Amino acid sequence: MIHAQGVFKEFRLYKKEAGFKGSLKAFFSRQFEIKRAIAPLDLEIQRGEIIGLLGPNGAGKTTLMKMLTGIIVPSGGRLSVLGCEPAQRLKYFRQRIALVMGQKSQLWWDLPAMDSFLLIQKYYEIPPKAFKDRVEELSDLLRVSAYLNVHVRKLSLGERMKVELMASLLHEPEVLFLDEPTIGLDLLSQKNIRDFLFQYHQKRNPTLILTSHYMADIEALAQRVVLIIEGHKRFDGSINKFENLLGHNKTLNFTFAQQIKEFNFFSPYSPRWNAGGKAVEITVPEGELRQVASHILAQYPVTDFSTQKTPIERVLETLLNSPELLKET
Amino acid sequence: MAKWFQCMKVVWSNLMVYKTNFILQSISPLFVFLFIKASLWTAIYKGAERVEIGGYDLNQMLTYHLWIMVVTLISIGAISQDLSQDIRLGRITAYLIYPFSLFEFHFSGFLARQSVKLAIALFTLFGVVLALKLPLSVTSGGWAILLALWAGLFWFFLNYFFGLLGFWLEETWTLGVMSQVITYFLSGAIIPLELYPLWMQKILFFTPFPYIGFVPVKLIMGSEVALAQAFAVLTLWIAFIALCGYGLYKRGLRLYTAAGM
Repeated sequence: MIHAQGVFKEFRLYKKEAGFKGSLKAFFSRQFEIKRAIAPLDLEIQRGEIIGLLGPNGAGKTTLMKMLTGIIVPSGGRLSVLGCEPAQRLKYFRQRIALVMGQKSQLWWDLPAMDSFLLIQKYYEIPPKAFKDRVEELSDLLRVSAYLNVHVRKLSLGERMKVELMASLLHEPEVLFLDEPTIGLDLLSQKNIRDFLFQYHQKRNPTLILTSHYMADIEALAQRVVLIIEGHKRFDGSINKFENLLGHNKTLNFTFAQQIKEFNFFSPYSPRWNAGGKAVEITVPEGELRQVASHILAQYPVTDFSTQKTPIERVLETLLNSPELLKET
Repeated sequence: MAKWFQCMKVVWSNLMVYKTNFILQSISPLFVFLFIKASLWTAIYKGAERVEIGGYDLNQMLTYHLWIMVVTLISIGAISQDLSQDIRLGRITAYLIYPFSLFEFHFSGFLARQSVKLAIALFTLFGVVLALKLPLSVTSGGWAILLALWAGLFWFFLNYFFGLLGFWLEETWTLGVMSQVITYFLSGAIIPLELYPLWMQKILFFTPFPYIGFVPVKLIMGSEVALAQAFAVLTLWIAFIALCGYGLYKRGLRLYTAAGM
């Protein structure tokens, strides 16, 4: 479905010193520098997979997505999506993909969403009956029937994102690219979008490529994670493997009746104390879980505790702070 | 074809949203005519209304400018600021994804706006003919409108070309304004081309400019015009600028970064 071999992207960046003097200097002699946004990268994605692209801001996730959708042209390497070279933007290719941008609307701002849908129907040559059925089905699933005839500019961010999603799915794309689809949404709206995507994937089985800074999106949807740091692919594997990258650790949370003064015992377990010193989160190797928990329960005034596997957010944070850990994997 | 028509329908709907802006834009030439051109030429001819300048007395000069107003309503549209801004701000991304290209989108938008402008121009034309009882031959009037529409096509491709420079330039607004000012001068929209030196007139007729204003107006006013040459020259220029635009688009896309995504 998607094959990338040694694909890379370089940008020419215009450099200018700060201030008027810098502007004047740049006016007469412009200086450029070449920035490698994506280092040669290999990637194989099968039909129906859900891939989470992870990485900090500026890591190259969106650049990779732009290359996969054909919006920008790779500087080198071989790239094939649905058997086509994306940068050629063949009609066959464009009819089978969709892109949802959380930070950019694709709908006509001053018109109701239905006007944009009718336009999209014509763009993708969707037969009237199929169009009607899909509008009904998707608006039911997303619960947006009431907003379809409201001007897009009058919709809330959550409502707008739902109709954006709808617009991108009307032609039933085989590959759906989602660039931060839940950005800026409240928790409930985020969950609604995630649930919808999950259900839609179960029903239609498209390939989903997702970038998000909300790890809940990745955890809820992605089966496989690709981690990109400074343009390099640093991890590519199942989400379970990613969660266990730091070893088979468990996260323990304790709440105490009073502030804890003696905390040497916690030091080896990367403790994270709350501001009042009355609650702590520690990371414990699976093998020591029973012994450490028993000790704390016996020695400290514990009022509540819980255990969970290390959240993906913590794994990502640790890897971003110490990328050298990845070299050993 | 259904895609184009649906796109035109959306543009028409959008024009309804910004109707005040659109109406103001469409009637602004009338204000230019009444407050600038009419008063300027009346002042120039003051006391010598029967004297001819370049073959025009005051009445003929005012009629000329009245027709210029109608013709340029069709042949000169908006400048290219939108497209270059869309490129700079990464707003053309959706049209690199849809199976409907950026050109198709802009061209159907042009057709939608042009159809409304044509209706306004025809309404004004008949209004002026009836109100001022000016002579107008249906045949030459028809050819004049057709030539103005053809010139409008050239103007669209020229602006599309300037808009595409947004792949390289931060700002193309100045270029757009400059091209508009030059066009106004060379098309006879400010002064009739008979007032220009003969050698310049000869050269000008090989450029697209006279066909944007001067030639259609002369047709309306009943003068003999080499129609075949007019259409031929204009068609060649349209083909040339469209080809340049195509090349520019192909090269520009390699530089596109889809900013803001």
